[in-house]
Amino acid sequence: MLYVAGLDIGSTYTKAIVLNAQREVVGTAVRRTGFKLAQAAEAAFEELLKNSGLERSLITYVAATGYGRYTVPFRNTQVTELTAHARAAVHLFPDTRTILDVGGQDIKAIKIDAEGRVKAFRLNDKCAAGTGAFLEKTARYLGLTTDDLGPYALRATKPVQISSVCAVFAESEVINHLSNGIPAEDIVMGAMVALGGRAIQLMRRVGIEPGYMLTGGMTRNAAMINALELSLKAKLNVAPNGLGQLNGAYGAALLGLRRVEKLLAEGKPIPPTAAQQEPGETATVRRWSTKTLTTKRVEPCRASGECPVAMKPVQKPLEAVA
Amino acid sequence: MTTEILDAVLPGAIAAAPFDPRVEGQRLMKDWYTGLTMARERGQHVANVFVMGNAIEILRTFDFQFVFPEINSLQTGVRKASEEYIRLSEDYGMSPDVCSYVKADVGLILKEQQHPAGLIPKADIAIASNMCSTFIKWAEIWERLLKTPTFVLDLPGQRGANWQARPGDAQHAADSRWVEAQFRDLIQKCEKITGKRFNMDRLAEVEERVNKMIFHWNNVMALNRVCPAPFNAMLDGLTYIGIMNVYRGTSEGVEYMRKLEEQLRAKVARGEGRVVEERFRLLFSGTPCYVSMRRLVELFETWGGVFAYSDYLTFASGGMDAGELVYDTSRPLESLAEITALAAQRGLSNQFFAHERLAQQIRDYDVDGIVFHGVKSCRFVSSGMADTRDYLNKRLKVPSLYIESDLIDPRYWSDAQIKNRVDAFFETLHQRGGAAPLAAKTVAAAAGSPA
Repeated sequence: MLYVAGLDIGSTYTKAIVLNAQREVVGTAVRRTGFKLAQAAEAAFEELLKNSGLERSLITYVAATGYGRYTVPFRNTQVTELTAHARAAVHLFPDTRTILDVGGQDIKAIKIDAEGRVKAFRLNDKCAAGTGAFLEKTARYLGLTTDDLGPYALRATKPVQISSVCAVFAESEVINHLSNGIPAEDIVMGAMVALGGRAIQLMRRVGIEPGYMLTGGMTRNAAMINALELSLKAKLNVAPNGLGQLNGAYGAALLGLRRVEKLLAEGKPIPPTAAQQEPGETATVRRWSTKTLTTKRVEPCRASGECPVAMKPVQKPLEAVA
Repeated sequence: MTTEILDAVLPGAIAAAPFDPRVEGQRLMKDWYTGLTMARERGQHVANVFVMGNAIEILRTFDFQFVFPEINSLQTGVRKASEEYIRLSEDYGMSPDVCSYVKADVGLILKEQQHPAGLIPKADIAIASNMCSTFIKWAEIWERLLKTPTFVLDLPGQRGANWQARPGDAQHAADSRWVEAQFRDLIQKCEKITGKRFNMDRLAEVEERVNKMIFHWNNVMALNRVCPAPFNAMLDGLTYIGIMNVYRGTSEGVEYMRKLEEQLRAKVARGEGRVVEERFRLLFSGTPCYVSMRRLVELFETWGGVFAYSDYLTFASGGMDAGELVYDTSRPLESLAEITALAAQRGLSNQFFAHERLAQQIRDYDVDGIVFHGVKSCRFVSSGMADTRDYLNKRLKVPSLYIESDLIDPRYWSDAQIKNRVDAFFETLHQRGGAAPLAAKTVAAAAGSPA
């Protein structure tokens, strides 16, 4: 039996998923990343094995993604979360063309084609505005947990405007609203609307195309989905059964499974894990730029001094200036 | 005039000596800094000049030693010392938004001109121009803090969207006269400072050497049109451009460029590239992040991505970016004015029409993708990048990547973020597909030898 695991070591949460050869989810695990990435990966993997009732030796291939992808010693390969999200998106919702991934530390808009290939992507600037961290902070100022935020915001009747989307400066704005007697649910919803606006702006910048999907930890928050759909004036695809948060890990596992199937079909061995490799040795991906092949061979500078760059003196001499 | 001279210096006649452009470049830069430290003892005069719009040809005839404040600042970055200088100037009161080159230079002043490369002498004159509005404010800082006399060149720029000055037309003639008058003024100033008479023949000699350097420079860049590219425009290229600026109009400069071209030609003939396997050819648009340039290039080269070209190599090579800009040494001063006017007009307009320029360069250098580098402390060079990117993606279907850091402020470099973007960019390029690369032999045969 073939099992492939996908691990997404994000800035806030580490997500793990294991798929069987039929691309069915056998088990999942989610835990906070904390400060030690390699340990978080190990712990999540242990938990994943426990949840899926599998032995470690049964896992054929591990694909890692997320910021901490290089810290997983037992990975067979690594991909960025952008590629992983794109793969999972077309697998779950083939009509997806624009993905919005709201994570703890960053926010990504990814434009993909029908085959799940990334056409373009935009990430937030060096700023936490519009990320999960912004909502986390808002929750903290209000004495709430991130899990409370969704149900709380759903009770909002008149969301307030949070004009500053700066995760740090928003604090003073939240305190100001509280001191003006505005209920916490309206503040929470206001923060979500502000975040949604920022996220959709990023989607527009990547060149928004219908067929939207929301991924990342924000999918756990029903109020946030509502807020985004309201600003977008369209329905967002969200993976069922809590898979939204696991989308990156899911995509990595799908990519890993495809790789394994290809290797098996070609009768090639499964590549060793990062820890088993010789130092300095890197697994190469044998796919190449199409451009390199079609490049016209420029004969740049012959011995005669001819060059593609034209060399000629100023043609018309100007009249002498006194 | 010039073409005969250029033909005469064509490489090939002189036997190839072992020449390492990087080592030789570093040696020349070290010599230059030593020269600066010794300038006062030797009783030499010193001028502060910027890399663009600097009238360096005139100043050379008066035997000035040159301080390039921009190069001093970027060198603090290369030597990983920039943060100390920048923080000093911020403590002094400069805003975090001010150009980090300026801040590092103010830090240098506050450190009594002690640079990691040696003591930088105070200048007898500073030449600024309107090629960058910050230049003028920067020169004002020297005037106030160091009492350096300043000479600001007013170079005519772009008048409108569909307007272009062409060599020989009436507008260009008028612009040239305007620039020439300023040069005559500058000459008088230099005569007063140095006590020497201006020598027109020496100007012609300097210009002849600049012509030769530009000739080789254009060939060096053109050699990178070959696949695989013999050098990385954003690593090796930065060494070359340093010599282009610091040794402009000198025989050392000519010799360096000649040997460089010769060496790269040989490399091309052997089918040798900058990396063992060149998988992707890229174009870098914007200014470098000098503190982490090696790291950035490493991030790309581990994927087999080489910067075949960068627009930085044209706009920062002293303003003479196109091959047609050749000094007529029979009319040294007039020709200098004509070309300065033309180069300034192009330099000042290339921000507005970056998309057209880049589209041409994408074709010339046959690149797979383009990387934009936005600079936090210089919004001017970063402006319009989003529009340009949009245009290239939509019209030419060229994949692009935008990364942001700073010229020399290490606090804006976020390794994890940049690595993630670079990896995702290459994964995107990979997904576009392709077959195995050509064997090195085939590439060598196709590139041809310069026989």
